[in-house]
Amino acid sequence: MEGEVGTNVVGEALEVSFVLNGRATTVRARTHHTLVDVLRDQEHLYGVREGCGVGMCGACTVLVDGEPQSGCLILAVSAEGREITTVEGLEDASGELSDIQDAFVRHTAFQCSYCTSGFLLATKRLLEEIPDASPHEVKTYLAGNLCRCGSYMKILAAVTDLLERRRTVALAPTKEDA
Amino acid sequence: MLAPRFLRPESSDEAVELLRSFEGAAKVVAGSTAMTIMLRQGLIEPDALIYVGGLPGLREIHEEDSRLRVGALCTHREVELSAEVRAVLPILAYTFGTVANVRVRNAATVGGVVAEADYASDPPAVLLGLGADVITTSPSGERRRPLLSFYRSFYETELDFDELIVAIDVPIPPSGTYAVYEKYVSRASEDRPCVGVFASAQFYGGLFHNVRIAIGAASETPQHVPAIDRAGDESDLRASVIGEIAEAYAEQTDTLDDMRGSSWYRKEMIRVWVRRALERVREDAYASPSPSRSSSIPDEMPRRDQ
Repeated sequence: MEGEVGTNVVGEALEVSFVLNGRATTVRARTHHTLVDVLRDQEHLYGVREGCGVGMCGACTVLVDGEPQSGCLILAVSAEGREITTVEGLEDASGELSDIQDAFVRHTAFQCSYCTSGFLLATKRLLEEIPDASPHEVKTYLAGNLCRCGSYMKILAAVTDLLERRRTVALAPTKEDA
Repeated sequence: MLAPRFLRPESSDEAVELLRSFEGAAKVVAGSTAMTIMLRQGLIEPDALIYVGGLPGLREIHEEDSRLRVGALCTHREVELSAEVRAVLPILAYTFGTVANVRVRNAATVGGVVAEADYASDPPAVLLGLGADVITTSPSGERRRPLLSFYRSFYETELDFDELIVAIDVPIPPSGTYAVYEKYVSRASEDRPCVGVFASAQFYGGLFHNVRIAIGAASETPQHVPAIDRAGDESDLRASVIGEIAEAYAEQTDTLDDMRGSSWYRKEMIRVWVRRALERVREDAYASPSPSRSSSIPDEMPRRDQ
């Protein structure tokens, strides 16, 4: 199978293509490189951070095809064809912060901010998945993201605020209605 | 360390042929949540990784003849949220939902957790307690084995090096069965269990039948001892009966020592948590004596609206 797409010989790097924050991207990775390795070292996306390295802390959270996963546990070579979103992909083209980032800023839902990009991405999916999440569901969903500064109550406030605002927007009369 | 080769077969047949050609020097990888850690910590040095993540036909969940077949590539999160699993085996959905966190559950697969045989994982004990079979394929054909004879020792299974798990096949408990899984963590809420206890029983005619216990995370392999469980059959699961079962599991389990608890402590916790699990089964049965299908529905099951 030498030379076929998706195979390599011992020790060699492999070309891996995926969509990164909406843009087609190709990186070169050896088998043991993680997604965190290539996103930081080759794509210079430093919002993806390694904390524990075993999938427990959530600092390396990325969205893979829209679902949060631990970037430190994804072999970069297995990302072929996937759609990857990092925190750098949350703001819009003009650099305007997303409502999620804005809510975290307004509530100062961080201290050192090392964990923040992971929380933002997990929150993005949470809001889509459970638009009427109760405080308990928010806590359960985000339980896998750790904040060692202890900003949990402010994070909970930011997410609760977001849930309310998104519901209000969803319920607001449109121009056509008026 | 030389990075291993990375191979992407396009079918299960091709995957097992590759496995055979490496004669045990290759590892199967899909969700990669456990494999990545082992590789990076230098615990394994395979010559090749056979990536099966995208293989077709291994991600289905379907019910047939009172059995639920779950494809090996279903993620933990898919089992947790599956309407089909929740309808017929809510305890299975609940158990997969207690593993690690949302991120890991979005990647880790059913085949992976069964094959890895990590003593501290939640699903193996519950699958064992439910009487699941493991279905594999290899160049020699398809095979079915009960999970009861599948786990050999610490991280070791009966899998041959050219065998690939394609599904697990779980009998759906008869109507009136109550099942619980108690995950006891000794350090932090996000930790893996110190001891995990599965318990189930069928309740009719005022008595419990077909009592089944399985203990996970406490010893090298999950434990299920039908001879002990029989003490609960045709009983009212009164305190003395529960105590006898709990005592027998505590005594007979060859507990291990790790950072989540000493061998002695684990025996104590088996005694406590087998008792609590059976008490919950009994209370659930008395509280609602005729559930429509099977298994008591655990509180606060997570949901997905879209």
